[in-house]
Amino acid sequence: MNRLAHDELMELRSELLRVTASLVESIPRATQILLDQDLEGAEYQILADDEMDSRTLDLEDRCVTLMALHAPVASELRHAVTIMKMSADIERSADLVVNICKVARRIHGIQLDPKMRGLIGRMGTQAQILFRHAIQAYADLDLPMAKAVDDMDLFLDYLHRQFIESIFESHSAGTIDLPVAIQMAVTARFFERIGDHAVNVAHYVQYLITGEIPPAGDHRRGGRLSDSTGEIEGLPA
Amino acid sequence: MSFVIGLLIGLAVGVVSYLLFVATSQEIPNISTPETTSDIETREAEKFGALLQIQDAIHSLSVGVVIVDAKGVVTFRNKLAESVTGVVHSDVLVEEVVEQHLSAALNGETKRQVLDLFGPPRKVFSVSATPLLFGGAVAMIEDITERYLVDAVRTDFVANISHELKTPVGALAVLAEALSQEDDLDIIHRLSEKMVDEAIRVGRTIDDLLELSRIEFGGEAVKDEVDAEAIISESISRVSPLASTHAIKVAMVDFPGALKVVGDRRQLVSAIGNLVENAVKYSDVGSAVEVTARGDGDWVEFTVKDFGLGIPSRDLDRVFERFYRVDRARSRDTGGTGLGLAIVRHVANNHGGEVSVTSIEGEGSTFALKIPKSIVQNQSVMKESA
Repeated sequence: MNRLAHDELMELRSELLRVTASLVESIPRATQILLDQDLEGAEYQILADDEMDSRTLDLEDRCVTLMALHAPVASELRHAVTIMKMSADIERSADLVVNICKVARRIHGIQLDPKMRGLIGRMGTQAQILFRHAIQAYADLDLPMAKAVDDMDLFLDYLHRQFIESIFESHSAGTIDLPVAIQMAVTARFFERIGDHAVNVAHYVQYLITGEIPPAGDHRRGGRLSDSTGEIEGLPA
Repeated sequence: MSFVIGLLIGLAVGVVSYLLFVATSQEIPNISTPETTSDIETREAEKFGALLQIQDAIHSLSVGVVIVDAKGVVTFRNKLAESVTGVVHSDVLVEEVVEQHLSAALNGETKRQVLDLFGPPRKVFSVSATPLLFGGAVAMIEDITERYLVDAVRTDFVANISHELKTPVGALAVLAEALSQEDDLDIIHRLSEKMVDEAIRVGRTIDDLLELSRIEFGGEAVKDEVDAEAIISESISRVSPLASTHAIKVAMVDFPGALKVVGDRRQLVSAIGNLVENAVKYSDVGSAVEVTARGDGDWVEFTVKDFGLGIPSRDLDRVFERFYRVDRARSRDTGGTGLGLAIVRHVANNHGGEVSVTSIEGEGSTFALKIPKSIVQNQSVMKESA
């Protein structure tokens, strides 16, 4: 690959880091929007997603062009593929952030009990930590850190499970209505999915470094807590 | 040692060669002037020294400075700018805004933007860029997090104090008006009872304000040796009527015994009492509040732990502010004045100690008050005095 193509790859890398930084920033923002039921903030965040979409799409486009025109090989090929794959995960995560903001609009005016608020806050924090680590691993090409993201996801899954339980508790205690309970259940899933996308990103980082894709399925908590869809065992479906 | 000498020699050689370079490069236009080479050298050395000084000064500014040339290539970045910009996380977001502003400045526009980053840690930057007279542009990055937060404290304080004082006074006015036109004895009775309630409420707020300013400005904090256990039991007994109406068990747990602190007994009881009272107010019926103290080096740490509502994490830094309420809607039910924790913080300051809180929303809060075992000179470390 010539110098020009190498520069382009480095530019793609820097753009990816920027887009991810925006995403990482938007996770606690959306969490706060949800907790405050901040309609204006929600609107802003929803509109901001268009930019995320076009930036990630542009990244993918440029990767394809790079591969078509310059035929990179070995680690450079992996790097281009990685950026392409990661931008898809980032785009999806940004959509999930938007979904969280939309929930803020739907549950407007409803008081959530403190336990649920606490858990939402913690899930938001944990989802952000996962993405921060995944992208830090990419920026530093840090294999151990990329591998650690898997384990960190366990905690988010645990919080997810606790949250679902607290929804059941609140609902049976009559403190929240069924529509709100359903909104909360999907919200929990949004956070959990963001975590899964972070895990995917971390896997591509591992692939970029080692050339091997971590085996799907068995890294995932060995079926202990949930299967590959993030479904939780031991809970009524 | 030899390393340092080597470094110095290297530096000297570098400076000399730079000076020679500068001197020779400018010699040609000056060839007609009757200056000797050594004159030029001294002049250039002075210029160079001044330049270094300016560079040093820019590095020590508390504002981030980024300079670009006419093509947009970064030619200088001071230390602060280095530390807040980067390639990942929030750093790259700052960098992005700086770049945007610089390219706008190269087109002759002067822009300013406030960048509010959730972090963590939460940071607020003000970024601006202006074109330079001789080509290029300069961007300035200012960390205004502190100012932003202090502003919030100030505006909230003014809003809150008017709320806390005006609400009961307004109610009194309305009740009195209704009373003046009422003939029905029953209604008169009920209205006057309400008036008494409101009067008591406003009286309590004023009492607390007075106590706060006494602790704040009194300065006559007595320094006695006080038994920690006595402080705790007195605080608990003060709250016990309230606790028993809510069926909350307030107890001293794991007390190591024989702990003494130096301080003003009345203030300390008021501080711990306020913490326990809060714990009781924000607990569910039938739960427990644990109070304890332990020695830790030169400190005694009092902790009050509850299993109640907890505090949202974004409010944690602010609960010690006067009249700050996590939830305004609830505040009137609990009957607090909004000054309890401000009093606790001032007692801590007066004693050279500190108060801190950890909390998880929905799981409970733990307040810790650290007081030195011996007298510490009052360092008057009162943070914002909004």
